[in-house]
Amino acid sequence: MRPLTFRRLFFQCFILALILFVAVVVAMKFGAVPVSLYALARDVLRFLLGQTSQISTDYGLILWNIRLPRILLAIIVGASLSVAGTSFQALLRNPLADPYVLGVSSGAALGAILSLIAAPYLSLSPALTALLTPMGAFLGAIATITAVYFLGTREGQIDSSTLLLAGVITASFISAIIMFLMSTLSGNLRGFAFWLMGDLSTPLQKNVYWFLGAGFLLAAGAIYTTATDLNLLLAGEKEAMHLGVDVPRVRLVVYIAASLLTGLAVSVSGAVGYVGLIVPHIMRLIFGSDHRTLLPTAALGGAIAVVFADTLARTVVAPAELPVGAVTALAGAPLFIYLLRRRPS
Amino acid sequence: MKEIAIARLRFAVCVTVAAMLCAAAPLRAQSASPTAPPSSPFFREVTDEAGRTVRIPQPVRRIVSLAPSLTETVYALGLQDRLVGDTDYCDYPPDAKTKTKVGGAINPSLEQIAALHPDLVLMTKGLNRLDTVYSLDHLGISAYATDPRTVDEIISSSKKLADVLGAPETGDLIAADLQRRLADLRNRLSALPPKRVLFAVWTEPLISIGRDTFIADALRRAGAVSIVDSSQDWPQVNLEEVARLQPDYLVFAASHAESVAPQLDALARLPGWRIIDAVRDRRYAVISEAVNRPAPRIVEAIEDLAKQLHPEAFAEKPEAGKEKPGKEIPPPQHQTFLHLSLDIHSSSPDTVSRGGCACAR
Amino acid sequence: MSGSSALARNAGDPARYSSETRLSVEQVSYAYSANPSQAPLFTLEATSFQARPGEIVAILGPNASGKSTLLKLISGALAPLSGRILLDGFVTHSLTPRTRAQRIAVVQQESRLLFPAQAWEFVLQGRHAHSRTLRFESEDDVIIAKNALAQVGAADLSDRWMDQISGGEKQRVILARALAQQPLLLLLDEPTLHLDIAAQVDLLHSLRRLAAENRYTVVVVTHELNLAAEYADQVVLMQRGRCLRVGPPAAIYQRELLEQVFQTPLTVALGSSGRPHVTVLSER
Repeated sequence: MRPLTFRRLFFQCFILALILFVAVVVAMKFGAVPVSLYALARDVLRFLLGQTSQISTDYGLILWNIRLPRILLAIIVGASLSVAGTSFQALLRNPLADPYVLGVSSGAALGAILSLIAAPYLSLSPALTALLTPMGAFLGAIATITAVYFLGTREGQIDSSTLLLAGVITASFISAIIMFLMSTLSGNLRGFAFWLMGDLSTPLQKNVYWFLGAGFLLAAGAIYTTATDLNLLLAGEKEAMHLGVDVPRVRLVVYIAASLLTGLAVSVSGAVGYVGLIVPHIMRLIFGSDHRTLLPTAALGGAIAVVFADTLARTVVAPAELPVGAVTALAGAPLFIYLLRRRPS
Repeated sequence: MKEIAIARLRFAVCVTVAAMLCAAAPLRAQSASPTAPPSSPFFREVTDEAGRTVRIPQPVRRIVSLAPSLTETVYALGLQDRLVGDTDYCDYPPDAKTKTKVGGAINPSLEQIAALHPDLVLMTKGLNRLDTVYSLDHLGISAYATDPRTVDEIISSSKKLADVLGAPETGDLIAADLQRRLADLRNRLSALPPKRVLFAVWTEPLISIGRDTFIADALRRAGAVSIVDSSQDWPQVNLEEVARLQPDYLVFAASHAESVAPQLDALARLPGWRIIDAVRDRRYAVISEAVNRPAPRIVEAIEDLAKQLHPEAFAEKPEAGKEKPGKEIPPPQHQTFLHLSLDIHSSSPDTVSRGGCACAR
Repeated sequence: MSGSSALARNAGDPARYSSETRLSVEQVSYAYSANPSQAPLFTLEATSFQARPGEIVAILGPNASGKSTLLKLISGALAPLSGRILLDGFVTHSLTPRTRAQRIAVVQQESRLLFPAQAWEFVLQGRHAHSRTLRFESEDDVIIAKNALAQVGAADLSDRWMDQISGGEKQRVILARALAQQPLLLLLDEPTLHLDIAAQVDLLHSLRRLAAENRYTVVVVTHELNLAAEYADQVVLMQRGRCLRVGPPAAIYQRELLEQVFQTPLTVALGSSGRPHVTVLSER
């Protein structure tokens, strides 16, 4: 009998954080333009010592303005999707659930498309125009979250199976609309296929990163407060209630927080697939199903996975870039099949 | 239990490290630029064709082109020495293939572009992504976007581009030459009714071009009119509709006429296509792929198509003064456009920089 | 429980309303209809009984008699249409799920886990109601969980995985989890349904011992006539949503009454333990 202690949790997270650090270093080093480790270390040192003016302009722009923001984005997106995936798997009591099953990514895609179509007609400042797509996507995500919520409640409470059905149907419907728009307006929507597959190549303003980080901490924190409730929810909703879980409240909090995490991630990076589905399973295999451990380790594991996948996306067919979602799908699908075969019956 | 957990953890760590080491392997060798050249203190503000205000350092010494048509235009203006990078798809003229590649038009590598320290990046609204524009803005790299929608706009766009790049005289010369050639065509074709054509971008499924594209405009200049009247840029067309409209000719764009000849023969045997008279009678016109690129070379493709569709307009001797050195007007045949294209583009950059004949096309 | 003093007690005895009463079900009724506009599909008419610490109450009746509904009302999962249920003076339905779980433990028949868990993990879930958010289990929690397993005789199952133990062993672990909640009231719905005879006797024997040692009040829903007679201190006899009679087994186990309720010929005799014993007769 070894119940979870804070020390063990901290140790596990620390190891993963170390691996994340290594992944970040690798990501900073590799890219279409080779950077030597020595130059990297030297520039980091200069940056930390405040001697930014001495950083060579060759690498400076690439490292700090292109690679580092991209790595930050990868970390936030990976962490958000993994936490959302873990939460949905618990909420819907379904190991096949991923962050997109309830339609959030389709709604975000539709929001992004509509903002792309509307962009020429709105005369906005350049800074705002760059933000138009993420904002449109986020609004689309919120609208979908609300719609699916109302479709998925019975007698005022979220019902897991109704929610799942509502989400799947909404996702299909919105996808049909997207297909229609993409085939009739193919001129305006060039390159949208990249967004749909998940693409981290567009750098964003600093405020956006703060917003994403704050949003992640808030939403993931809210979910973490229900970690023990989620453990009990997995035993069954009736049992959970009899063991003291306020099931309707937990369902609502987890649904909203996890959907918000998904919406945030999808707004800035498109629909990066398989991360939210597989990382929770891998972490469960290594660390067990206790959500007090699973949630933070899934967040770190997701960050590692997306940083790593993005590095591959940037280097495998350099100088062209693959969309990150293509890499995660190519790696994720076989991995998922492997996990499926391994499952105890 | 503890042993299993630790073993799992060890396994995970080993897999991660091994996988990361594998990531070190696939790296294409790309030459990064040497130390950055000194930045110029002078700027010029222009409004590009997407309505954006662009601050361009003067003079423009290092150009990166993100579209094959813009690469061609730069060469046509004789400024290829300033071109430091282009896309994987920039293949015309052949020298363009030797430039440093920055990736695709839709997914270029920002790092590679930044490493080349360009003064100006050229983009076109019809091919490149809006996101790339924002990314370059974010990095402080100036990007100039063109958006030609008709043949006239292609010419004026090239002229404007020449001015932006600091070679306005060359731009004027080329624009004047192209306009002259188009005017000549207009004269020859004014009395003749336009031929009704179907421009087939793709055959399975059948995709044509919309009425607002520059290709449709090019067809009109060549004395043809597309039977497809759609507001979409790349409409998918119903075969029955084509059969109802029965175009006079089917027009295809290909790099080499010989390579598509077998496919065109096969077309007659495809189910459903035989109901189109033009297919049964093999009334095809094959022109150069230049028609797909909004660059000065499109005028040649227009001329070629005009000759194939209206041979009677070119039967008489050309007037003196209208003839360009090195350019023949041979009897119209399907294969001759090939020779036309090769002759014209063999002119070397030196001819242009001497400011003599406007041979750069 | 001895025979004569138990016989003296019946539902109308004022002695039953002493301060020792832990559970008080007062005129509780319920109605369930699929559609608000339609007539109710099922009704539970006003039912009352009381139970004291250390007592085992059996809710007895054939199928569809409303037994499970009554249990759900007591557990707080359903809200009564009229009447109320008091546990140590608190109205059960108005408590939050957390406070309710600190006082009432429900033992399910089965437990389908989505992801595998070990028995000790499972039992520790019972401590959830007593721990605050984001707290890890304390040493006290661990000791209580260990004790719970020991009390049901499943201490050796502690490290086993829940999907690899037998049905009877699983039932014991589920009971241990309920005990880990340190409740005042223990509710079981047809706990003997999937168990063999030895396991059934084992379970009820444990329940009697636990009730006596820890002063639990136990309410068991069952249709097993003889088990109820043997182990219950009080029986609530139900038929088609109505409570027919409440009292000690001797008062309930009357032949005409049972034949009418269970619709089958039987005889009632006094068993060797001093409790009534029912023999179902085969068709004449």
